[in-house]
Amino acid sequence: MDSKFIRNFSIIAHIDHGKSTLADQLLLKSGTITEREFREQILDDLDIERSRGITVKARSVTINYKLNGQNYELNLIDTPGHVDFHYEVNRSLAACEGALLVVDAFQGVQAQTVANAYAAINVNLEIIPVVNKIDLPVIRVDEVLEEVENVLGLDASDALRVSAKTGMNIETVFEAIIKRIPPPAGNPNAPLKALVFDSKYDNYRGVVTYIRIVDGSVKPGDKIKFMRAGISSDVLEVGQFRPEMRACGGLGTGQVGYLLTGIKDLSLVTVGDTVTMAVGGTDQPLPGYLKPKQMVFCGMYPIDATGFETLREELQKLSMNDSSFSFVPETSDALGFGFRCGFLGLLHMEIVQQRLEGEQDMDLIQTAPNVTYEILTRDGQVRTIDNPQDVPDAGVIEEFREPIAHVSFIVPSENVGTIMQLCQDRRGIFKNTEFLGPQRAQIHYELPLSEIVYDMYDKLKSVTRGYGTMDYEVIGFLAADLVKMDILVKGVRVDALSTIVHRSTAERRGRSLVKRLKNEISKHQFEIAIQAAIGSRVIARETISALRKNVTSKCYGGDITRKRKLLQKQKEGKKRMKQFGEVEIPQKAFLTVLESNREDG
Amino acid sequence: MTKHNDKSADTSAAESSPGAAEPSVFTQTQTSQVDESGVTAVYIHVPFCLHRCGYCDFTLVANQDDLIPDYLAALKNELESTAADHAFHGPQSMDTIFIGGGTPTHLSPSHLTELFSLLQRYFHLTDGGEFSVEANPDGLDDDRIRVLKDFGVNRLSLGVQSFDDDCLRLLERRHSAAEAIETIQRCSDEFDNLSADLIYAVPGQSLRSWTTTLKSAISLPLSHISTYGLTYEQGTPFYRRANSGELRRQTDETERQQYLTGIGLLKGAGFEHYEVSNFAKNGFRCRHNQTYWQGRSYFAAGPGAARYLNGRRSTNCRSVARWIRSWSDNSPCIQESEDLNAEEKAREFMMLALRMIDGLNIEAFERRFGVSVRTLAGEAIQRHIAGGLLEYHGKNLRLTAEGLLLADSVVVDFL
Repeated sequence: MDSKFIRNFSIIAHIDHGKSTLADQLLLKSGTITEREFREQILDDLDIERSRGITVKARSVTINYKLNGQNYELNLIDTPGHVDFHYEVNRSLAACEGALLVVDAFQGVQAQTVANAYAAINVNLEIIPVVNKIDLPVIRVDEVLEEVENVLGLDASDALRVSAKTGMNIETVFEAIIKRIPPPAGNPNAPLKALVFDSKYDNYRGVVTYIRIVDGSVKPGDKIKFMRAGISSDVLEVGQFRPEMRACGGLGTGQVGYLLTGIKDLSLVTVGDTVTMAVGGTDQPLPGYLKPKQMVFCGMYPIDATGFETLREELQKLSMNDSSFSFVPETSDALGFGFRCGFLGLLHMEIVQQRLEGEQDMDLIQTAPNVTYEILTRDGQVRTIDNPQDVPDAGVIEEFREPIAHVSFIVPSENVGTIMQLCQDRRGIFKNTEFLGPQRAQIHYELPLSEIVYDMYDKLKSVTRGYGTMDYEVIGFLAADLVKMDILVKGVRVDALSTIVHRSTAERRGRSLVKRLKNEISKHQFEIAIQAAIGSRVIARETISALRKNVTSKCYGGDITRKRKLLQKQKEGKKRMKQFGEVEIPQKAFLTVLESNREDG
Repeated sequence: MTKHNDKSADTSAAESSPGAAEPSVFTQTQTSQVDESGVTAVYIHVPFCLHRCGYCDFTLVANQDDLIPDYLAALKNELESTAADHAFHGPQSMDTIFIGGGTPTHLSPSHLTELFSLLQRYFHLTDGGEFSVEANPDGLDDDRIRVLKDFGVNRLSLGVQSFDDDCLRLLERRHSAAEAIETIQRCSDEFDNLSADLIYAVPGQSLRSWTTTLKSAISLPLSHISTYGLTYEQGTPFYRRANSGELRRQTDETERQQYLTGIGLLKGAGFEHYEVSNFAKNGFRCRHNQTYWQGRSYFAAGPGAARYLNGRRSTNCRSVARWIRSWSDNSPCIQESEDLNAEEKAREFMMLALRMIDGLNIEAFERRFGVSVRTLAGEAIQRHIAGGLLEYHGKNLRLTAEGLLLADSVVVDFL
């Protein structure tokens, strides 16, 4: 197909503004899918994302559309909406010439609208503002368009007004895509140059490589080369997503589709790599992407020690399809053998955990998440720390550095004060505030990433009753007065409960942590002190008093079975506890500490 | 007004069953020799009360006396079925019969007569046997006492609970301390084996009030006393009230002090402490309950009643209406049933034996179960001996004074 009849575009939006629904509506109206298929959000083929209304893995789909008697090939490259997946957004955008910027007709511009729009602007995409949900009873289209102009600096005069849900005005979207987004510019006669914008592992077909042809063309039988990886392979199949994988005779300049090469190892196919011909190919690779940086880490342990190998297999499977997730074995006195896992952010972590527990049916203990730190030692070395257990003695540390993120909040004007207070309490550095209109403001802060990870999302949501949104980007490491806080239970340090905290918040967090632990550990025959300590200095303490009476009064004929079962259950529970010195700590304690991280602090 | 917190008020009944009869392993057995070939204990549950007390979660109905005739008819069917299943040839000899509730004596004299007449067709008390009935101080009139005597009842277990009127009110009992005293005195003319249940750790109950209750009990003609710490069972009004903060639970320190005070006073007054909650004058230990604790078999009938026959523990359904409906149609109404394997039997036996003050006779245990106690629980024994909760006393392994207070923490490791 002549590339002037091809359009490559993405849809970008804040979560829940209707990106997926619009995508589905485009597929439906173009006959790519049936009415029945439309009922499902077919672009999100992972349950978790669907249930959360978030697309995580970028996918693409090829749509045929006829306008004024001419056939066009429209390639929709889906993008993840969440802040954790910035880099996936960027790599998708790099394969497009334009983007539909979907904005909710009532909610207007939100934090991720801004982040995603800027990402698109940065790569010079043609942006078409689309005001969605105009079928809702309460909308404020004019204000929303004003926000688009003021905040994003886009021309909103010819913004589209649609309802993805009802299909209202969807034809205007096709028309705008064809008329306003430029066709791909590549040279069909130049040597093959194609961008790898995604990849996945398929159990039957090996690695599926998602490509966008920039120059030249590719067909089955070609011998191609992944330039960065330096590996060559025969092309076994070329095809498009319609939306299922459908083989075709070849892909030409500007087209989007997939390659099957017989490569079985996903790690060999790097997103951002350039594909060219093994012989006579280009020697100028495409710019590619920055590798995503993992900023959030946690330990994951099987509840049952025998689950270690299973967990390893499952993590391996997951990492095959998610190169932004990593894991290495680690050992904890408290939890035994497990893995330290790295994630792009909190949501990414949650998704991986849910996938393990939900889809693989595994019971996991997850330690409290922490960010990556840097330590400059006295002898001038810089060490990266992604596990509190690895923090060296205070005497060795010259400088303890933490990641700082630039955070932007969009919140109702009445919440500005509260948000600023929250940031202030979390060691934030105020940058500036912009009012987006009379009712909403955008606030910029620099905040330690650890504070964001700790509870910022939940605080923001509760303070703004769900109306506030945020987005962040890590901008560097800064020295801070950081310390490792240990938890001692009857004098024994519980490694899995150690955390890195700022000295100014250590006492507050220590107090709340020991209080929660007190509720999780049952009474023993002796008194148990639960302490939070920095080095040898105790900063918080709770005491569990000794068990003074524990005997069932009645055990007659009708009580025996019940009593025995009750005690057997307790015994099962005890088996699942971990022994620290003389104290048994239920594994649930580790979870509770993690969960309630978000409730206070 | 039931005597909740009363021993065996829930279910149960006894008898060494054919096949299940195993030699007693206890050093001190006050029961008669178990008939190796037969079950010698039976429990009958009578699920009627004048009203339900706030802490009670037993199988019973209040204000539904119209069900009593249906209950008696259904009971007849269940007993008939039991007789058929176990090939009764005429009334079976029982060492102990225990009628619990509910409040069995809530039945009118004529209904009581009907109940006992029915039982006579299936069971016959051996010479020197123990025939217990649970009763509440209120409503236990001379007519009813007459019926009990006529049918050979020789032991009464009274749901006294307290001799402090404030406690009685809080517990929603329908009698006063004075009435309880009067009833005990009147009963003592007819029964020399008289037991009372007492409850401690009642919200607001002081150690002084508890001491007064204990002293009152000691001063009365009682041969047996059971003391129970108040529990808050799920689904009861007390449970809700305690969780909402309306009722203030006693601390376990207070409960401990009250329990220890009970042990001290009762032992000082000549009662033997023979099980966690039970105290008896010499020769008055409850033989029926020891059937349970010695892992012997027993028959049972009535809603919610539990039996142990041929190594199977089964419990009737706890809904009175459902049990009646089911047995009216002659179909059994079992809530749960469990066959114990050899190891479960042995471990359960240890659990029950350790709750008795004399403890577990090691040699008898090993003779009976063919496995050593050490094999089953060697590590737990060592640990709890080291922790001061268990001790050897002659051939017996038993809880120490401190171990008794923490019996559940110890026993759990034997299961």
